[in-house]
Parts: sequence; structure tokens; C-alpha cells
Amino acid sequence: MLFNSYPFILLFLPVVLAGYFRLGRRSNLAPVVWLALASITFYAIGSWHFVALLLLSIAFNYGVGHLLIVAELTHPQRKAALALGLVGDLLMLGIFKYAGFVAENVNALLGTHVALHILLPVGISFYTFTQIAFLVDAYRGQVAAYALPHYALFVTYFPHLIAGPILHHKDMIPQFEHEETKRPDGHLMLCGVIIFAIGLFKKTCLADGIQPLVALAFEARSPSFDQAWLGALAYTFQLYFDFSGYSDMAIGISLMFGIFLPVNFNSPYKATSIVEFWRRWHMTLSQFLRDYLYIPLGGNRRGRVLRYVNLLITMLLGGLWHGAAWTFVIWGALHGAYLCVNHAFNALVPNVPPLLARPGRLLGAVLTFLAVVIAWVFFRAESVAWALRVLHAMAAPSNLVLGREEIAALVQVAIYAALVWLAPNTQALMEYDHGNREVGEALRAGRTRPLVLYAASLLLAFGFLGIQSHSEFIYFRF
Amino acid sequence: MQSAFTHLRRLLLASAACVLGAAALTFIVDPLQLFRPSRLVPAFYSEDTRVQNAGLIRSQPFDTAFMGTSLAIHFRQSDIDRMLGVRSLKLAMTGSNSRQQAFVLEQAIDRGARRVIWEMDDFIYIDAADIEADPYLSVDLYRRTTKGIASYLFSAAMAKESVFALVRSVPLLRELLTRASPYLPVKFALSDIDDIYALPRDFDVARDYNTRKTLAAFTYITDPVRRRFLGEGYSYEAMVRHFEQDAVGLIARHPDVTFDIYFPPYSILQFVAMRDASPETLKIVTALTAHIARRLTQMPNVRLHDFRAVAAVTHDLNNYSDVIHHSPVVDAMVLKWLASGEHRVDPKAPLASLNELKAQVEAYRLER
Repeated sequence: MLFNSYPFILLFLPVVLAGYFRLGRRSNLAPVVWLALASITFYAIGSWHFVALLLLSIAFNYGVGHLLIVAELTHPQRKAALALGLVGDLLMLGIFKYAGFVAENVNALLGTHVALHILLPVGISFYTFTQIAFLVDAYRGQVAAYALPHYALFVTYFPHLIAGPILHHKDMIPQFEHEETKRPDGHLMLCGVIIFAIGLFKKTCLADGIQPLVALAFEARSPSFDQAWLGALAYTFQLYFDFSGYSDMAIGISLMFGIFLPVNFNSPYKATSIVEFWRRWHMTLSQFLRDYLYIPLGGNRRGRVLRYVNLLITMLLGGLWHGAAWTFVIWGALHGAYLCVNHAFNALVPNVPPLLARPGRLLGAVLTFLAVVIAWVFFRAESVAWALRVLHAMAAPSNLVLGREEIAALVQVAIYAALVWLAPNTQALMEYDHGNREVGEALRAGRTRPLVLYAASLLLAFGFLGIQSHSEFIYFRF
Repeated sequence: MQSAFTHLRRLLLASAACVLGAAALTFIVDPLQLFRPSRLVPAFYSEDTRVQNAGLIRSQPFDTAFMGTSLAIHFRQSDIDRMLGVRSLKLAMTGSNSRQQAFVLEQAIDRGARRVIWEMDDFIYIDAADIEADPYLSVDLYRRTTKGIASYLFSAAMAKESVFALVRSVPLLRELLTRASPYLPVKFALSDIDDIYALPRDFDVARDYNTRKTLAAFTYITDPVRRRFLGEGYSYEAMVRHFEQDAVGLIARHPDVTFDIYFPPYSILQFVAMRDASPETLKIVTALTAHIARRLTQMPNVRLHDFRAVAAVTHDLNNYSDVIHHSPVVDAMVLKWLASGEHRVDPKAPLASLNELKAQVEAYRLER
């Protein structure tokens, strides 16, 4: 089921909200069970054939987690239990996500013709990572015993299930356990609706609005210089508005239930370095990769060279997490290389003279943005050859068309660039503070002008009117 | 708390009001001209032909419908009218299939077309979605069902177009925005219906249509890596079935309508590519078009024209931008041939021009 669909907005969400708060009057557990069942229903609509796999994954991880938390195992037994959990999770991910890719490469290398046609279960990367973090923390002794309904809800919670944000059990389960979240809070509802409206507008009007321009670069046999750049920039903005729109909608919906989700985007294209970009883009994935991959690999504790190696490994695997294709591997490798260069530069030039700080930041922002756009070409292209064709066109300024269509596209891209660089982001607008569980304090205190509410209603209306018959989120594929 | 719920209620009510207001605005301005020809604001047209055609059929006066794929997209209605003495409506759609073409033509016939000029490619008959489930062409919009009208009125894109159309109609801004429209991200940007997909009057034909480009396209499609695409979707049985359903069915249902159907003048390289890189596809194409020629020439309300063997055009690679798309110079020739009946297929020898084409393809040797 899609957030940007009439059945979800007009039927599913109101029914689930009503049931949640009605049951909340009677007990603290029933709404949790209700929400978990609603989440599984949400997943089943459109992906019913993968529900069993999702439930199996939950049962398996909960069982292994139970061994690690409750059973009194010796150290080697705990290690073996963790290994079992991780191997099980990675095996499932490997089979459903990477088996086809491996077979394809084996075929290419050995000239064999092994054909594997395995459908990718929606959200598998997200719910597997969520649970890997749970197991690792359970092994580290950082997890209290959770009841099964709370655990199941933590994994399946429908606002995040399909495309994140990647949740942390320590953040979420205590919120599910709180009694206050079961009582409707008008302020959180209002803020939730506004944040949802912003996200819906980002998706249906902005992301879907610029999507046709992407074809200029990625569906043309031989794009010109301007077409290649316009298509690449269009994809850069489409991806941002699509994914951050989804994240906003997830945060807004969750807020209606009184649950605070972590922020996933913080104006990433305003970053002045690649390091900063990764602190602002898909933040929950970055945190996951840092805590459960980069730091366990040794992080920056074993010298400069190993730090760079760890960075490269982390980003390569991060790329592969997005999809089983060489284009994603190259995208990850590029970002790994960017990060190494960034860290090396920081080590070489630890202090920038104050006079150069401002122009330096500006130059950094421009270079970072260009580097990100170039990497997105691999992320979006059907194949490495196709990506190289687009990049080749982007490097050939003599081949310029600049016809009517290209000028119109240029105007549209410029409008989007202005939005991305000049407009405040959702959490700044709504004073969303995930850590302190605060949102819209100015609104609560009556310091917000009525005009803001009417602007929000306009966003909601246009977001609603922008709904097309079927427009999936890009990150559903991962 | 009470105040927050009041705010929430107000926000939702205001949103509902905005939604209804936007729908009302689209209904009044009607940028697609689905309900009435444009009067309140000047009429503007879009190149999104699968949507625009729904409005054109309902708002324009015409007695002749002009249909085809990208091969027929650059024609100007004014040229068709002048050369053939008709009042035409160009409904060609790039990349369209026979289900879409037949459906749109049926709508046009229902709205008064007495003659159809149909640029017919063999590849329109490959398998595609059923028209009722076609994601690219909304039958509900054409039929003006409740669903079709709702999807038109309750649309952010159409609301945006309506607002822009209103702003553009302000006398002070009219001239400036009319001139700027084609260069702005708006759908309804063309002030003259004649300009839909037509090339500009000052278009540099030699730059875009030349031997270099044609040969480059030939090399590309015959590359061993890509040559399998030449026959993608081609199946003789399925294509004949679609031809019978879509073309023959439509023609038979409308015996009072005259159909001028023509096979367009592709460059000879289109067939040479098949001959060299995908001979099976060439076999299907020749067998299919033989079937089409035999069937259509037996129908009393059809005049079939075959331009595929006009060597003076098809062998001159300067007429093309790739192996099939010909220049506007050839467009003019096509209209001339249609008017004169030159290259009309003789019902007594329906395969004569096809046999001539086969001989040309067999004999052709590419010199680079």
C-alpha cells in the first residue's frame, strides 16, 4: 500500500487511528497488537506473498534475541547464537536480494547459463537491518527483554516498514510501551498532519513533477550535454524529494500515533563536504553503517590507511545494500573514495584561514553537490555502460541542443534548486526535535500565525490532488 | 488540547475547500477543452498527445482524422488541409500501438470524422496492454466517464495549468507569457494548434536529417549487442490478430468513412538492418504487410498507399534522422502522393509494391 494513495489516506489511516485510540482506552497492550496487525495488513496489501517471510524473519530474530537476552548462555554459546542470527539474516537477504546478481556474474565468468528469477520482497533490506542491530545490541547486553507484540510492532510498524527510516529498538520500543501514546494528543495530531502534508506535497507534486525530465538523460540513446546535465540534476532532485517526502510522511503518520520517528534528511544538498553530506542524507542508514559496520571494522582507531580501507568497505557494502548491481557498487565505491579524499584533505589542511572560510565553504558546497550528482548517475542508470554514456555526454559541452524542451527543463530545474538550497527543511519548519520528543512548540504556544495553517492546508490539498494512479517511491526497490 | 483539535479540524476543512476550489477552477478554465472550446481564456495546446487528443476531439471542428506514430507527428494540419482539401485533426501519437490508435480514431469518427488518413507501421501491432487497462491512455478521459472527469478535475497538474492560463489571460501579461510559455514548465504551452509537434518554420533540416545520422543509427541497431531488439515483440500470429481486431474491426464498423492508409517511406536501411541482423523479423514484416495489403485492398472504404519502395526517397539517406524517421520535406511528398493517388496499391495486384521492396532490399549494398 502506498502513503500517496486515496485508500490509504481516506480509509486505512483513519480506521487504524480510530481503532488504536479506542483500544487505548481499555488497555496498554491491545493498541500495540492492533497496530502490529494493521502494519501486517498494510504490508500484505500489494505484497501478500511475502508476509510469511516477514513473519518468519520476526520469529527467527525474536527467538535468537531471546536466547541472547534471557537464556543464561556461556560466552561461546552467545557468540554462536549471534553468529546464527546474523548468518540467518544475511542468508535470507542474500538469497532474495543477491542470488540473481551472483548467478549473473558467475554466468559471465564461466559462460554458464544459470537463471534465477527471485522476486525482491518489499522492505527486506530495511527490516533485516533493523533486526541485525537488535541482535548485535542483544549480544552486547544493551537490550532489555521485550514482549513479542512490542518487538513485532517495532519491526513491522507500517510508517517505516517499507522504506525506513531504519529504526532502533532502544528508541522505539519504550515509546510503544508508554501509556500516554495511546491517548489522542491533538497537538501531535495537528503537527503530524502538517508534516504528512509537506511530505505528500514533496512526493506527488515535486518528485513526480520533475520525474519526466529524468528521461532526457537516462532514456535517450545519445543525450546532448545539456540533456545529460538536466536529466542528472532532475534525478538528483527527484530522489531527494521522493525519499525525504516519504520520510516526512512516515514521521507525520507516526506522530499522529504519538510516536516520534528519527529524522532521515537534513537538507543534504546544503552540505559543504561529503562527510557532512552523509550526516544529512539517509541519516538512519549512515548511523547504522557507522555503528554496526564501520566501527566494528576498526573505524579510525587503527591508523589512517586502515581507516580509509574501512571507509571504502563500508561504502561499498552500503552501495550493495541499495541494490544488487554493479552500478550500486560503483556508486558506493565513488562515495567511499570521496570520503577518503575528504578526510585526507581535512588531515592536510586542518585549519582554514578565517578569510578563506566563507569562500571555502561555498566551494566545498559546489564540489560536494557536483560529486553527488555524478555518483547519482551510476545510482540511476540501468547499466554501467549507460551511466558512462551519460557521463560522457556531461563532459562534452560542444554537443548542445538547448531547444524549447531543454529551456523549459532548465527553468524547472532552477526552481527546484532554489527550493533545495533556499527553503528550510521540514524539521526546521516544524521545530521537530526527535531527541527531546518535541514538535511545533510555537504552534502549541499560539505564536504561529493562522496563515501557516492555511499554507499547510494548501500543501495537503495539492499533495492530495497530485496523487497519480500509481507512483511508487524510489526506495521501495531497495 | 481543545484548541489543537479545532486547528486540526480547520486545517482539514480548509484542505477540502482547496481541493474543491481547484476542481472548480479546472472546470471553469478547462485547459484541455474537454467540456467546451476555450472562451474564457485563450486556447493553448499540449504536446502530451495521448491526453490532448481527448480535448481536441471534443473541441475542434474537423471532418478528417490524421493518425499515426512518430512517423506522422511532424505534419502540420494546415498543410494537410491545403494539400488534401479537408478540415483535418492531427491525432498522431509517438510510440502508439494499434489499440490506442484504433480507440482514438473511433472517438474521432463518433465526433464527425468522415475520412481517416492513417500512417500505418507494422510495429504498431506488437503485443501491448488492452486499451481498457492502458496505463498511458485514459479511456475514461476520452469517454468522459465519472472516473475520467474526476481524474481531470481533481488534479494538481491541471490546477496549476488552469492558474497559469488565468494569469496568461491578463491583458498586461498576455503577450509576454504567450511568447514565454513554450520555454516554461507548463503543459499547455502552444498557442497555435498547428504547432503541436510540428517542427519550427526555420528548422535546420540538414542538421537533423542527414546521411551521417542515418548511418550512425543503422550501426547502433545492428550492433551484435543490440540486434535482438530489432525483432522484440514481433510475432506473426499475434500481429495479425491485432491487425484484424484493431484496424479491420474499426474499418468494418464504419463503412461510411473513407480510410486512406499508407505504409510510410522508411529508409531502405530499416529493412537492410533486418536482412543483415534479424532475418526472421524481416520475414514477419513482409508476411504481415502482405496480409495487410491483401485484406485492406478488399475493403470498399479503404485506399491503400505503399511508399516503402519509392527508391528516390528511401535510398537517399539525407532524408532521415535515423533508419525510419523522415524529414518534413518527405512529409510534403507524402501529402502530394496521397492527393494524387500515386503509389496507391492496385487491389488487383496488392503485393506489387511489396515485391518491388523485397527486390530492392535483396539487391541493396551499403557503401560507407
